[in-house]
Amino acid sequence: MEALGRHIVEASSATIAVSIRLGELMIETMPDKLVALLTFLRDDPKCLFNQLVDVCGVDWPDRSQRFDVVYNLLSLKHNIRVRVKVATDETTPVPSASSIFSSAGWFERETYDLYGVWFSDHPDLRRILTDYGFEGHPLRKDFPLTGFVELRWDDVQKRVIYEPVKLTQEFRRFDFLSPWEGARQVLPGDEKAKAS
Amino acid sequence: MADNVEIKTLTMNFGPQHPAAHGVLRLVVEMDGEIVERCDPHIGLLHRGTEKLIEYKSYLQAVPYFDRLDYVSPMNQEHAFALAVEKLLGITAPERGQYIRVLFSEITRILNHLLNVTTFAMDVGALTPPLWGFEQRELLMEYYEGASGSRMHAAYFRPGGVHQDLPAGMLDSMEAWIKQFYPFLKDLEKLLNDNRIFRMRTVDIGVVKPEQAIDWGFSGPMIRASGLPWDLRKSQPYDVYERMDFDIPVGKTGDCFARYLVRVEEMYQSVRIMEQCVAALRKVKGPVRVDDRKIAPPRRSEMKNSMEALIHHFKLYTEGYKVPAGETYTAVEAPKGEFGVYLVSDGTNKPYRCKIRAPGFAHLQALEMMTKGHQLADMSANIGSLDIVFGEIDR
Amino acid sequence: MGVIQSKPGATADAALSRALNDELTDKGFVVSQLDKLITWARTGSMWGLTFGLACCGVEMIHCWMSRYDLDRFGFAPMPSPRSADVMIVAGTLTNKMAPALRKVYDQMAEPRYVISMGSCANGGGYYHYSYSVVRGCDRIIPVDVYVPGCPPTAEALLYGVLQLQKKVRRTGTLVR
Repeated sequence: MEALGRHIVEASSATIAVSIRLGELMIETMPDKLVALLTFLRDDPKCLFNQLVDVCGVDWPDRSQRFDVVYNLLSLKHNIRVRVKVATDETTPVPSASSIFSSAGWFERETYDLYGVWFSDHPDLRRILTDYGFEGHPLRKDFPLTGFVELRWDDVQKRVIYEPVKLTQEFRRFDFLSPWEGARQVLPGDEKAKAS
Repeated sequence: MADNVEIKTLTMNFGPQHPAAHGVLRLVVEMDGEIVERCDPHIGLLHRGTEKLIEYKSYLQAVPYFDRLDYVSPMNQEHAFALAVEKLLGITAPERGQYIRVLFSEITRILNHLLNVTTFAMDVGALTPPLWGFEQRELLMEYYEGASGSRMHAAYFRPGGVHQDLPAGMLDSMEAWIKQFYPFLKDLEKLLNDNRIFRMRTVDIGVVKPEQAIDWGFSGPMIRASGLPWDLRKSQPYDVYERMDFDIPVGKTGDCFARYLVRVEEMYQSVRIMEQCVAALRKVKGPVRVDDRKIAPPRRSEMKNSMEALIHHFKLYTEGYKVPAGETYTAVEAPKGEFGVYLVSDGTNKPYRCKIRAPGFAHLQALEMMTKGHQLADMSANIGSLDIVFGEIDR
Repeated sequence: MGVIQSKPGATADAALSRALNDELTDKGFVVSQLDKLITWARTGSMWGLTFGLACCGVEMIHCWMSRYDLDRFGFAPMPSPRSADVMIVAGTLTNKMAPALRKVYDQMAEPRYVISMGSCANGGGYYHYSYSVVRGCDRIIPVDVYVPGCPPTAEALLYGVLQLQKKVRRTGTLVR
């Protein structure tokens, strides 16, 4: 696998970093070089990664380029997998892989729907999993678990209406980090302690 | 009369509530008379936010979510998650645990194929196969219940092995079941294989050529029916599949009939694997989950007697184990295709990102390619042979 | 001899059928309250709309198949809402699906009943805190019987159906 990694770095000019961790080969690249890299990976005789298995996004809100779009590829002939990662933020579009692999169509739609990553040259980029008029991108880390709106049937208007979320019991989050760094609960009466 | 007659296509809704829609599928079909020109599947009618919910739960609490993804073959999904977490933790399940996992994976494969083949037959008009097939499913679900406590959503495969050992007498009962399953499969084949109506509705319908199958990301019986002998159990074996002796059925024509034949033959091979597993489980003894008390909880009798065991039990069931930072993509050969879990961990007790790669997602994309030029009734045959379940597509 | 054969086992059913038997052979017709007759017809042949959404749908199918045959209770599966009496909401109801559910419910003719099957349909269930799930199908439609479980075993759904029959007998009037 190291030989394949070295070959990819030498033969294609589109990679930035190649690493092998836990027995899995990973390549990092920039959005503008993505199409060239994917085409190389598909066509090069030593690679022949002819199946795009998965496209997904990961949100790292602390970074400036907060989203990671991850492509998992599989080579049926050489029986090997590779992962390609591209970093982007909310406004930079990523070129679509649907011209290279047909299976990318819906996966990219899903990444757009759940994260808001825009794919340029995508034939049909619209919401796929969330509701028809949904606002927001649910899997981002700043989107709350329960969302903002919920549904119910209104007998007066005779239709289904959206209302702000009201939970009868809140989702219980337990903070398991060390008490010295974790929960910062302000107990009543402590406000004056800081002043002194 | 003018010579230029305008023909408009009719846009129709193959609605979310439909007996042949296999769950909640909304298809907007554009039809030219009876021929389908374009079809646009609207999915997301069962989007429950599984991936977001998993990010808020510990690794053990996330296990039941995987049962509910492909709900006709629950344990295979758990298997993928268990393997992914074990990879990040750097542990392997003990041998007996692995044999039990393979045994129940194959039971689940038979469960899935029974449902798929019989409901596919029901979609194209045969009403007897479901009645026979579901009784076999009930017998298999009795094994689920015996091993884990629940007929369907078992939460049995956990990272580190299996939750608990099999009850006494289950292996004998399985051997008896295997003996009566072969005649049942032969009866099923006699009903459907040479049936003129079944053949007319499935042969040459939804043909997928091998290049198309690769391009659209097919896997599992879909790609094997098109002629490519690709099976993750043989090419990237996990658990004890390397020691198992079985064949992979490969189809020739890539149409609905080929997919049906591949699935029925896979059931025969699954029973072969089951026989080998049952024989092995009689000999291989030992723990069924990994010994590391930081990952797998102690037995209840231990927990009630020893202080460390109590502390381990408490910490594991409240906070859960911490998984070292890293990422992995692990895939298993689920009955529907390649089911993959892309797991990103940041070192805490909760997964940072868990992407579920469902085989049905890639297969449903290709529905338009498969149904173009066919008639509307073939649409339900195609959907049935794609073997899609919305729990895993919409998550 | 009579139209109905019953063993001398002396259960309430046997006594009833013997009484019916005797009256039929004696007079040739049976007299009963219109109310009871209609309730007997309603509960004896409730056609269920198969609204399987998720995993509970599989258990619902199991309930209709050979082992826990629902058909013998007159509970035939009916895919079309226009001719169905009962709607079994089996599975998680999401925000996207809710308008469709209401539409299907509105298409059913009165008297109509709803069985909410599984914890997702009862109150959001395992996905209660999710952003895209309706916390219980009773936010959209009125429910008669709730069947708990995740998924409820086919036997539990059968019990729920029998409970619904009891409810119909209890509240059976011509005015609904």
